[in-house]
Amino acid sequence: MKRLIYTIITIVLLFVGQTAQGAVRSWELDKAHSNFYFGIGHIFSVVQGHFTDYSGEIMFDPNNLEESHFFFEIKTSSIETNVAKRDKHLQSSDFFDEKNFPLMTFKSTKITDAGGGVYEVSGNFTVKGQSHELVLPLTFAGIKKHPAMKGKEVIGFNGKVTIDRLAYNVGNGKFFDMGGVGKDVDIFVTLEALSKK
Amino acid sequence: MNNSPIKLTLERRWVHKGVAIAFYLLLVCSALSIAFVYESTTLWYKIGMDKTMLRTGQLFGLLTAVQLLFQIILAVRGKSLEELFGVATLMRWHRANGIAISLFAMCHVALVLAPEGITNFPIGKKYWPEMVGVLLFLVILSMAVSSLFRQQLGLVYARWRVVHRVFGYSALVLTTVHVLFVSDSFRESVPKIALASGVTAVIIFVLIVKLKGRRKQVRRKT
Repeated sequence: MKRLIYTIITIVLLFVGQTAQGAVRSWELDKAHSNFYFGIGHIFSVVQGHFTDYSGEIMFDPNNLEESHFFFEIKTSSIETNVAKRDKHLQSSDFFDEKNFPLMTFKSTKITDAGGGVYEVSGNFTVKGQSHELVLPLTFAGIKKHPAMKGKEVIGFNGKVTIDRLAYNVGNGKFFDMGGVGKDVDIFVTLEALSKK
Repeated sequence: MNNSPIKLTLERRWVHKGVAIAFYLLLVCSALSIAFVYESTTLWYKIGMDKTMLRTGQLFGLLTAVQLLFQIILAVRGKSLEELFGVATLMRWHRANGIAISLFAMCHVALVLAPEGITNFPIGKKYWPEMVGVLLFLVILSMAVSSLFRQQLGLVYARWRVVHRVFGYSALVLTTVHVLFVSDSFRESVPKIALASGVTAVIIFVLIVKLKGRRKQVRRKT
């Protein structure tokens, strides 16, 4: 009988231990301190903007990249470039066609450690209903005790990537051809996410 | 109606009428020229039919604003205008102008929205000048409908008149705010000064007519 109890306890402990090792920590996006910024050329200058409405899911463990993943959903109607009329134009069918394609999504498929604290997050970036593979290099800033929130830890990432908006069908190229709006968009992702200690 | 001690001769009346109409046409043309001389940046990014629609929409907007200013003048009238054109003519113009303003406003809304997608409404806090425009559009439509179908709607004349007057002056305020903040053409000093001058001139005209009317009433009483 004693033997049986020890065997059961051993099996349970092994199972719990394995689950604990396999579970990747879930992080809740701190929207006040995260954002998806972009910059795009306009003749000579760069117009910058960001999206104010998005949600995301971060499961990350540097020791378990296989089960880690990133998912972001950005509302195209929340584009903000500091000029209301330009924002309305960007929402129109000339660019994002917000009425038909209200969301842009990024879903990671693979995360690889590129060294030097950089993680290459490969995934599908879906814009205007079309998915394209994208590698988002995120620099892992670290995990630390949140200085303002008791019992919580904060994780941080920053990353830059440049995409061709025309490949994503964001505009048909008429503004690029006339020399007004560039086609390469610099995206700057900055993330802070919280998790219970 | 013509009880003025200084009566205009027929010839002089025609000259005055001509000057008044020429002045009105000059103001309309000047207002419409703003869409070309002080082109808004939104027009830069419209090509072909979209550009034509947006520009035409802006022209209708400017026309609506000018006609609204004249509508108040036609409503208040004043002795000089009554002498020149006659009350019946001024009333007829006021009614026709009211319908024209509603139609112009409808064209403005449709043509300005169409190039961005008719369902891509500018709704939200950051589009507040456009929202003011929506309110103005509703005020204009309600004024036109309640005037055209007052009897069918069973509206008592005295009450309708008070509401019509309040809505009329509100439309003036809403027009000023909408035009001033919705278009970057009006960030330039000339269009801004032109709008301010037009609105101020109308306000002064109304005040003068009202004060004269009050003085007349007091004189009659005494």
